[in-house]
Amino acid sequence: MKGWALALVVVVAATLAIGVQGLPTHDAPEAPIHDHVGARYVERGVEETGMRNLVGAVLLNYRGFDTMVEVVVIFTALAAVLALPRAGSVADAPEALPVSPVVLFVVRLLAPFIALFAIALLFRGHVSPGGGFQAGALFGALFVALGLVLGRRGAARLVPERARPWLQAAAPLTFAAVAALGWALTGSFLGFPQAPELHAVREAMALALEVAIAVGGGVILGSLFQTMEA
Amino acid sequence: MTLALDLASLLLLAVGLAFVAGGTLGLVRLPDLFSRAHATGKCDSVGASAILVALALQGGFSFGDLKLLLLVALVLVTAPTAAHALARSAYRTGLEPWRRAPAAGWRRGAERRDAGAP
Repeated sequence: MKGWALALVVVVAATLAIGVQGLPTHDAPEAPIHDHVGARYVERGVEETGMRNLVGAVLLNYRGFDTMVEVVVIFTALAAVLALPRAGSVADAPEALPVSPVVLFVVRLLAPFIALFAIALLFRGHVSPGGGFQAGALFGALFVALGLVLGRRGAARLVPERARPWLQAAAPLTFAAVAALGWALTGSFLGFPQAPELHAVREAMALALEVAIAVGGGVILGSLFQTMEA
Repeated sequence: MTLALDLASLLLLAVGLAFVAGGTLGLVRLPDLFSRAHATGKCDSVGASAILVALALQGGFSFGDLKLLLLVALVLVTAPTAAHALARSAYRTGLEPWRRAPAAGWRRGAERRDAGAP
């Protein structure tokens, strides 16, 4: 058994080592990634989309449909989990354990930094790498960490009951609204107006999408954790 | 100066790798959650911070160094906390810590201890 495991490890490691030999070097211009649409994005992305950050240009503009369906997928995952039968509601479940003072202290220490970093990522996402999905992952981690400290009921209070469904569906709803606005302005679904005088509108549309992705993603991650814990 | 920095970096990298390797070995070989959390929690925090400090020494005292040192502080706070939280909730929910199967010589003593335990 051990001999087989060792043989498997050697074969896999050798395969990976051979594969690494074939990789292009880090800055090679002939790397396959530059052969296809990448060059076009880099050369004309700013001019064609009017966005300052190429990552944002690809995410929201060149591949806007992909991103839109992506947030629908995340929302559907939560809907599927919520649809599973459960023993009781989140609020009725007994608190499992008293909160560890160590965990309480560390979460209190780190929570403001996590929140600040998430907000910084969200708003820097316009001009540098970062953006809604990354910020949403951090918001979700913050919800989960606070849930560990506040207990289930306390965590449920973080997001008000009445607003919760709207926040969970924030990203798909905002995508629908922005896509409709783009349709009205440009004649194509999820189109971004190109005219220089509509620069502010374009930025506002992108910002709305990023904020909705971050808030919706964060709330969905937190809800998933709470639902599966109950 | 550069030589001293390089040597310090190399030393820290070696220490960090040794700790990470030890933690990984412990994760694979140790018998239960408590001993594994002990191995990974300790070794990952020390190993990762040693590697990060080694990298910071190579940064030439730039703003990036400050970020790396902040990461060290973050790792030193979070890794032990995560290990603590894991072990604590496992213990509180009734997971029995692993014990070596009692050898014939000290079996009676162990039984007496078990009987006297609350």
